[in-house]
Amino acid sequence: MYILEMNHVSKSFPGVKALDDVTLKVRPGTVHALMGENGAGKSTLMKCLFGLYSMDEGDISFNEQPVKIESVKEALHLGISMIHQELHLIPHRSVMENIWLGRFPRKGGPKSPFVDHETMYDKTAELLKELNLTSIKPTDLLKTLSVSKAQSVEIAKAVSYDSKIIIMDEPSSSLTENEVDHLFTIIRSLKARGVAIIYISHKMEEILKISDEVTIMRDGHYVGTWPASELTTAMIIKRMVGRDLTHRFPLRNSNPDGELLRIENYTSPNPRSFKDVSLTLHKGEILGIGGLVGAQRTEVMEAVFGLRLHSEGKLFIKGEEKTCNNAYEGKRLGMALLTEERRATGIFPVLSVQDNLLIANISSYKDKNRLLNYAKMAADAKKSIKDLDIKTPSAKTLIKSLSGGNQQKVLIARWLLTTPDILILDEPTRGIDVGAKYEIYVIMSELAAQGKGVIMISSEMPELIGMTDRIVVMSEGRVAGTVDSKTTNQEEIMELATKYVG
Amino acid sequence: MRKLSIVLCLALVIAAPVFAQGQAEKGAIEIGSAIYKFDDTFMTGVKNAIVAAAAETEAKVDVVDSMNIQATQNEKVDLFITKGVKAMQINPVDRTAAGVIIDKAKKANIPVVFFNREPLAEDMAKWDKIYYVGARAEESGTMSGQIIADYWKANKATMDKNNDGVLQYVMLKGEPGHQDAELRTEYSIKNLKDNGIKVEKLAEDTGMWDRVKGQEKMAAFIASQGDKIEAVFANNDDMALGAIEALKAAGYFRDGKFMPVVGVDATAPALQALEEGTLLGTVLNDAVNQGRATFMLSYDLARGITPTDASIGYTITDGKYVWVPYQKVTKENYKQFK
Amino acid sequence: MSTNTLANMVLGKRTVKQFVMDKAIFLVLLLLVIVIAIINPRILSIRVVRDVLMMSSTKIIMALGMMFVILTGGVDLGGGRLVGMAAVVSASFLQTPDYVRRFYPELGQIPILIPILLAVFVGTLFGMINGMIVAKFKVPAFIATLSSMLIIYGVTSIYFNMAPNNSQPIGGLRADFTYLGSGSIGFMPVIIIFAAVVSVIVWIVLNKTVFGKNVYAVGGNPEAAAVSGINITKTLVGLFGVCGFLISLSGVLEAARTGGATNNYGNGYELDAIASCVVGGVSTTGGVGTVSGVIAGVIIFSFINYGLTFIGINPYWQNIIKGLIIVSAVAFDIRKYVQKK
Repeated sequence: MYILEMNHVSKSFPGVKALDDVTLKVRPGTVHALMGENGAGKSTLMKCLFGLYSMDEGDISFNEQPVKIESVKEALHLGISMIHQELHLIPHRSVMENIWLGRFPRKGGPKSPFVDHETMYDKTAELLKELNLTSIKPTDLLKTLSVSKAQSVEIAKAVSYDSKIIIMDEPSSSLTENEVDHLFTIIRSLKARGVAIIYISHKMEEILKISDEVTIMRDGHYVGTWPASELTTAMIIKRMVGRDLTHRFPLRNSNPDGELLRIENYTSPNPRSFKDVSLTLHKGEILGIGGLVGAQRTEVMEAVFGLRLHSEGKLFIKGEEKTCNNAYEGKRLGMALLTEERRATGIFPVLSVQDNLLIANISSYKDKNRLLNYAKMAADAKKSIKDLDIKTPSAKTLIKSLSGGNQQKVLIARWLLTTPDILILDEPTRGIDVGAKYEIYVIMSELAAQGKGVIMISSEMPELIGMTDRIVVMSEGRVAGTVDSKTTNQEEIMELATKYVG
Repeated sequence: MRKLSIVLCLALVIAAPVFAQGQAEKGAIEIGSAIYKFDDTFMTGVKNAIVAAAAETEAKVDVVDSMNIQATQNEKVDLFITKGVKAMQINPVDRTAAGVIIDKAKKANIPVVFFNREPLAEDMAKWDKIYYVGARAEESGTMSGQIIADYWKANKATMDKNNDGVLQYVMLKGEPGHQDAELRTEYSIKNLKDNGIKVEKLAEDTGMWDRVKGQEKMAAFIASQGDKIEAVFANNDDMALGAIEALKAAGYFRDGKFMPVVGVDATAPALQALEEGTLLGTVLNDAVNQGRATFMLSYDLARGITPTDASIGYTITDGKYVWVPYQKVTKENYKQFK
Repeated sequence: MSTNTLANMVLGKRTVKQFVMDKAIFLVLLLLVIVIAIINPRILSIRVVRDVLMMSSTKIIMALGMMFVILTGGVDLGGGRLVGMAAVVSASFLQTPDYVRRFYPELGQIPILIPILLAVFVGTLFGMINGMIVAKFKVPAFIATLSSMLIIYGVTSIYFNMAPNNSQPIGGLRADFTYLGSGSIGFMPVIIIFAAVVSVIVWIVLNKTVFGKNVYAVGGNPEAAAVSGINITKTLVGLFGVCGFLISLSGVLEAARTGGATNNYGNGYELDAIASCVVGGVSTTGGVGTVSGVIAGVIIFSFINYGLTFIGINPYWQNIIKGLIIVSAVAFDIRKYVQKK
């Protein structure tokens, strides 16, 4: 008997088939782990279930009844709740108001305009007590709570909806060990009440500890479902990454030599972030940074480029010690950083391709009157478009109308115009279709062949192994190890990535 | 949605003649008129007088709002010239900007009557088809000073509360830097001095021509100066009436406690206050005659006639100025202005 | 958590620093009182307290209305013009029968409540229309109310310029009407009682009713509100309606207090109201603000206005001082929320 069955679910986005015939069956009163690499389609599947996306194909039955879920409200009404990675709470209001938002108990009947604070307080206190969350007071303001407690409030809210299924998306990613233990206590008490939990996480040990069943997905496909008791970390990894690798990468003839960049003991002032990170990049080398989401890879690289603070650590450029406290200095030291969030921190959507190309380098187009030399700008833009084979109707086209892959090429070209020695690419191929990925790989290997140093952060194991010379694997903010790409395999990287986890 | 808005826009265009009431073609002499800003009580009076005077003739006056921005006014003038009006009536936002308008008008050969704010003399001399209608702003100051001076002379025993022989006063100014505000302030006090009265300024602040602010500033004056105040000058009636409200709240105007307050403009509520005996006096800036004189001048000019005293019904001084006198309004004569 | 706050916690400085930060604006007020009292000790009198409270009364009512909109992260730019409309509409029906320049010469003595309700009703309606435009067409409040500012002023001016009034200031208001603005019950001015009653009601609405909680929710995190099934359109229309109601009520009282009205009443008041809210701790990003904070903000503003005139500061300097106080208050306030990454 299943509380939830999702059968033959498919969902496409322009250019990508995110879900292809996926199945998920969840029993009441169990914790069901959903696993897969980034981009395997877990979040997409959950968003279909929670009414945030509509499915192209497939059906859902809930409590053995076929249902259609077209909005969040319907999902909540059925008894499906979701604890998001970024919590949906109102910071300046109290715990009880957040929990009963939209359903306040009223004084003297449901039509009354007055909120019944006493009842709301009592119901909240009772709820928190049931979940053993007595350290939270119903009147506490949300903004005063720690992340873990705020998450507990979200869970309490889900419980108050009388939810039969609670989806938890990476609930432990920002929690300390003790807090995770507490989370598990809550989860166990929910199980005891017959609530089913769909648990999404990368942390193997956590999964094996808390879950009853595990469903694994890969590249939008369903791999299978097994009882957790029959699985080991190694087996899960194998099933998550077990795909065949054909010639997806350009052949490289690399011979790195000469140190370009070295960092020693980079440590963040934030104790939850990176610690003691050291690494070296050579001329002509592509260095991979691997690890799980939340391993602080982006944070380290942003600190190197000057976007984030570091409290300790030394930076050497070509052997000379330097300091770098903001992006402007980073640029002057010959570094370039392609950020992870292309839309949020990369493109200027309503500006033209040309403006997007030249923006990081704009001051070099000043002529002797301190005005911009348009002829030179147009020539450079044209050259970049040709060199990187950016597919755009013209340099004046607005960048937002380009495909993701071409937008990414514009961003790479932008940084190349600053003639950097060191390129840091954070998830350069995320959300990009296969063809465009290959073109970006080609650009990367050409840059390395020119003697530049490239650092690539990636969560895609095959591209890490296929494209780089060496891979620094991070785990929980620390360097877990460095491997040679020619000899390593996915299992070894995955093991390193989970070295300090849990 | 887009379709709907297009339809709405079309409907507005079609309906426009309905809104443009009375401005429909009379096939007539068109005159352009630009007021410095519409939300000025006095200028609205002048505007209404212009429109009323025009209604008696076949002329059509197109009155526009310069929104207190000289650049906007210049744009409106360009528009008038493009439309080919026969004459213009301009109430400058900035009196020193009149020169530019005169140049434009001369080039297009469209006569201009300036009113209410007087252009510089050298600008007025640029062309012979330039006229000015207005009052001498200093006159309003002089007159309000005279009202207080007369009262002082007649009631010195009670008015000079501290018996020091010096008149202690507070001043509620209009917008700082405004020509009228500066002149009224200066000449009201000058008149007292000319009358041989010694004066002492206790406090001065701007009420921005506004009744509410006049009331609030006066309340602060009373609190800080107490009974030392012997007279209140306000650059206009709105502020004077606000001051009276503040004085009332402080116990004045009952049980024989009186404070002489003067304003300028002779608005309807000010006349009422005169009747009630709270306002000592005000000065009428004659909106009706300013408006009428402005129109009569421009009407002649628009028809190519050289205006004379007889043709417009007002005296023309120096060939291009019509001075509409201010009038003192006090308890004795207020009834004739109602 | 940054090392900074950690260090402060260890050293026990956090509370002191936090206190200064939270109450900075009150410290500024205290400082101002002290400075002014040194220059002119007469400021320390009951009359001054009364004057400042009376000045603040109508502004408190208006600022409370404005707070509803700011709680959603918007502003009502039409607020000042709405004051003018309500003042003109109510005053035009409430002139003494023997006043010569009456707006409606033939009108008899009508019950005082009718014009007041009419003015407030029109104001509420304008507010609700704003809310509808913001909610349905997703027009930012800033723009929607910018348009209504122009429209309201145009409508008021047309009304005000109707014959036989022809844009004359409306005077000769009935004594029972001006009593609301300038009368007292015992020592207590009626208008202060008005402001107090309105403040209490607004406090109840915001803190004790579902509507009030929804206002904070929609302002604090619209997505969370939507996910929790709150009717956002209804809430926005309601809160803009309340805003229009309170602002037009303050316009009516402004007419009663000054004993007159013109179409220019209230010009620029919206900016004062916004500034008072912000100084009183209402966050312009939405979701944060209290009745007591707004009252404090208005009183601080009134006191600055009053106090600077009291000691005879040149009007140009008054503007500079006010500007500095607003920007420093907000800068302090924002420091409470901004954290370095």
